[in-house]
Amino acid sequence: MSNLLTVNHLTMRFGGLTAIDDVSFSARNKEITAIIGPNGAGKTTVFNCLTGFYKPNVGELLLHDGSLTHRLERLEDFVVAQKARVARTFQNIRLFPAMSVLENLLVAQHNKLMLASGWTIKGLIGLHSYINQETQAIGLAKYWLDKTNLMNRANDNASDLPYGDQRRLEIARAMCTDPRMLCLDEPAAGMNPKESAELNSLLQFIRDEHKIGVLLIEHDMSVVMEISDHIIVLDYGRKIAEGSPEQVRNDPAVIKAYLGEDEDEELPPKVAADLQGETSHG
Amino acid sequence: MEYFIQQLINGVTLGSIYGLIAIGYTMVYGIIGMINFAHGDIFMISAFIALIGLLVLFGVGITWLPLVLIVVLILSMFLTAAWGWVVERIAYRPLRGSFRLAPLISAIGMSLFLQNFVQIAQGARIKPLPPLVSGGFVLMDSGDFTVNLSYLQIVIVVLTLSLMTGFSLLISKTALGRQQRACEQDRTMAALVGINVDRTISLAFVLGAALASVAGLMFLLYYGVIDFFIGFLAGIKAFTAAVLGGIGSLPGAMLGGLLIGLIETFWSAYFTIEYKDVAAFSILVLVLIFRPTGLLGQPEVEKV
Amino acid sequence: MSVLKSENLPPIIKDSFITGLITLILAIPIVGLPTINATEGLQIEPRWSVVIWMVLAVFLGRLVLNFWWHREQPSSSSTSPLNTPFLQSLQQLLKFIIPIGVLFALILPTMPFASRYVMDVAILVITYIMLGWGLNIVVGLAGLLDLGYVAFYAIGAYSYALLANYFDWSFWICLPLAGVFAAISGILLGFPVLRLRGDYLAIVTLGFGEIIRVILLNWYEFTGGPDGISGIPRPSFFGLEFKRSSEGTFSSFFGLDYSSMHRIIFLYYLILALALLTNFVTLRLRKLPVGRAWEALREDEIACRSLGINPTNTKLTAFAIGATFGGLAGSFFATRQGFISPESFTFIESAVILAIVVLGGMGSQIGVVLASVVLIGGTELFRELEEYRMLAFGALMVGIMVWKPRGLLAHREPTIRIETEGSS
Repeated sequence: MSNLLTVNHLTMRFGGLTAIDDVSFSARNKEITAIIGPNGAGKTTVFNCLTGFYKPNVGELLLHDGSLTHRLERLEDFVVAQKARVARTFQNIRLFPAMSVLENLLVAQHNKLMLASGWTIKGLIGLHSYINQETQAIGLAKYWLDKTNLMNRANDNASDLPYGDQRRLEIARAMCTDPRMLCLDEPAAGMNPKESAELNSLLQFIRDEHKIGVLLIEHDMSVVMEISDHIIVLDYGRKIAEGSPEQVRNDPAVIKAYLGEDEDEELPPKVAADLQGETSHG
Repeated sequence: MEYFIQQLINGVTLGSIYGLIAIGYTMVYGIIGMINFAHGDIFMISAFIALIGLLVLFGVGITWLPLVLIVVLILSMFLTAAWGWVVERIAYRPLRGSFRLAPLISAIGMSLFLQNFVQIAQGARIKPLPPLVSGGFVLMDSGDFTVNLSYLQIVIVVLTLSLMTGFSLLISKTALGRQQRACEQDRTMAALVGINVDRTISLAFVLGAALASVAGLMFLLYYGVIDFFIGFLAGIKAFTAAVLGGIGSLPGAMLGGLLIGLIETFWSAYFTIEYKDVAAFSILVLVLIFRPTGLLGQPEVEKV
Repeated sequence: MSVLKSENLPPIIKDSFITGLITLILAIPIVGLPTINATEGLQIEPRWSVVIWMVLAVFLGRLVLNFWWHREQPSSSSTSPLNTPFLQSLQQLLKFIIPIGVLFALILPTMPFASRYVMDVAILVITYIMLGWGLNIVVGLAGLLDLGYVAFYAIGAYSYALLANYFDWSFWICLPLAGVFAAISGILLGFPVLRLRGDYLAIVTLGFGEIIRVILLNWYEFTGGPDGISGIPRPSFFGLEFKRSSEGTFSSFFGLDYSSMHRIIFLYYLILALALLTNFVTLRLRKLPVGRAWEALREDEIACRSLGINPTNTKLTAFAIGATFGGLAGSFFATRQGFISPESFTFIESAVILAIVVLGGMGSQIGVVLASVVLIGGTELFRELEEYRMLAFGALMVGIMVWKPRGLLAHREPTIRIETEGSS
């Protein structure tokens, strides 16, 4: 499997604070890559750099697309989504609250529909080619509504949805843009074990059926350890470990970052179990 | 050369007045992130209050100027502060949690209301006042142009400087100032450590109004004529000054005020007087397009 | 419904008393001591009775307000204040009112009470409805606070006037051209500023509006300065003039006695058609990707960016289309009046149009109609109280914002629905 994303020497500074310090890693297609680390480690900052919301001070962010390479650090945020087809969700959920669930999903297909509507002209006169495209777009929306279990809420306002549904809607909306890479910022936040298990299936489905690369920021280890193919660990803006789940969970640097200095002490059994990804779920 | 220096003096004086008003805009923006569209009309009301105060005192026979001016100043500051407080309570506080545009629209409504309220209550005609503070120094006399520095101009600049210094000390050194700055940075956290956020915000409005009232009295004395509409123009220009200096920054407000005063004066003197208001609007537009953070402001990074 | 408890009474009285006291303090200088411009200079003529009345009114008003607040159910939902049964049934009623209203508008000129005065007011109201609908695209749908909308109104009017006067083209050519000019100016004015945040955008558009007005006022050679442009040709009924002579005129063609009402009625139907066009285009656009993008932009711009939507282009289209309708309305205004001057295009106009959009309910087409009828029609009927009109405007803007920040009739129906099983 080829590299989907190559990050080289990414550095991001905010005034005197270095949020990300010379981080390099790669993520592969058809894999779920998780970025984990204590709070403040710079994970969301990485996402913001990848999706064009921040401009990094140093570094290359290469998205590989067949023979093309998109240099994400040079692209504006909406161009990253449009051309490089990197979709994302947000830590604090950003839906369109006054619009319905279905409308949220249609907005995601804006560029394609805009083209089909001939920049609105064809749409205004109701040309068939536009109407067909719109029907297709609704079809895609229905598909993702089905996969995220939101079909029966299609006409409700996004703001009326419960928290868990909103998170899934955000993912459905991101998938409606037909992305090449999906970046999820703490999708399991606030979910109970049943919901995180459903999330796991959804993400695995996305990886296996749609064959894209998924980048995941998460704190919930039951999700991370269960579904990740590859994990990158950040602490204080630096990469301290990278590898498979087994490698990472036994890495002393990782343990130190999460739990503190004293390596001589044995891990409390519950914490050790947590790290093993054996928290009760399902 | 003499002409230039005269314009310089005039510009600095005008700039001081704008600066005092600009502080009100910048304080309110700094603490609740909204543009108090009605602030210019608070300034206008203060000018009327000052006018009425002067007339009343003269009417009852008190004419010793320094006493009259000081009494009117203090009275005006107090009453204008009350107006500022009431405006905040009625039009802005209820909208604190609402969407971004709501307080702005409410502010525009309030501005319209205040303008028309004064227009109805006091009449639509301009209100002239005979010059009260006259005389000054002749700085230079080259024969065909004399450079005058009036006492009033000195008073305005000195008063403004002292108020600015006092105010900066207030903000940086006192507990009150710390509370203001805390609320500016993080309102939720400030509330959690026990700061009465409502009161702090009200205070920002009150202080801004009080400073504007000083400007109101100065304006009245300097120009000798006021009407219900001066708030609109002065407000736009003072807001331009606040934006130019960097909205949210106190020294920025003063600096911006000075610059706008100078630009307006020099523009009228050397180009054309008809388009002088356009100069202010154009600067506003240009600054917002090319450098929205202003000269001394901090660039805001929006959390994604 | 809880009954007012007696222990609530003292705090209520105290609160109302304090409110009255504050009113007293504020009212004494401005209201109680008016400055009168007498020949010897300014005089003060105290009028304490007005102050007393005012304080009493505020005291009582606050008392009533307090009673109302304390009697209301504590669980009144603040998330959807518009879902009370009364307003819901109003919503249902509104669905019928639209076709009835349009029908009424169509047959208005045939009504017995349709005098010249009534028709004039109707034309005025519909002009503001059209302006409100145009601004609604910018403010209500796209969420861009435009405080300088009057600029496009002015550009439309002046473009039409200059085209008609200098080139002698007919109304039907000048009108769309003026709209095009307005659209271009919308793009030109919008392009540099649309990446600014909400409040900044508002101030910049205000600045633009004022700059345009001052230019119109001072560029004497081109725009006539304060004198304006006069002698703007009136519209004709497809070539038939509305004149008194016996040949080639509207009345002679249709074999009617000449009446000045003919032209007025024609103008009425003209503005009605323009307004309905504005409405039709808006409703269609809302269902198209561009309209959804506008609303999405209003809801959350960052989310839009993350979906690959170019915010600047999207905002520009809203701005330009809104400007076009403003310009068309301006052309109509020019041809109706026969004379235009910068005085008609002040910031107050922008504020009035904005008030109509906001008070009606941002994004609500019916709300704009309602607000326009109430505000414009209402104040026309009370001409004597002219100077209180803007005062009431301002007070209403504040009042409605505080009471219902989303406007009176703000309710959004999704533009598209699909069938769901067991919908909640």
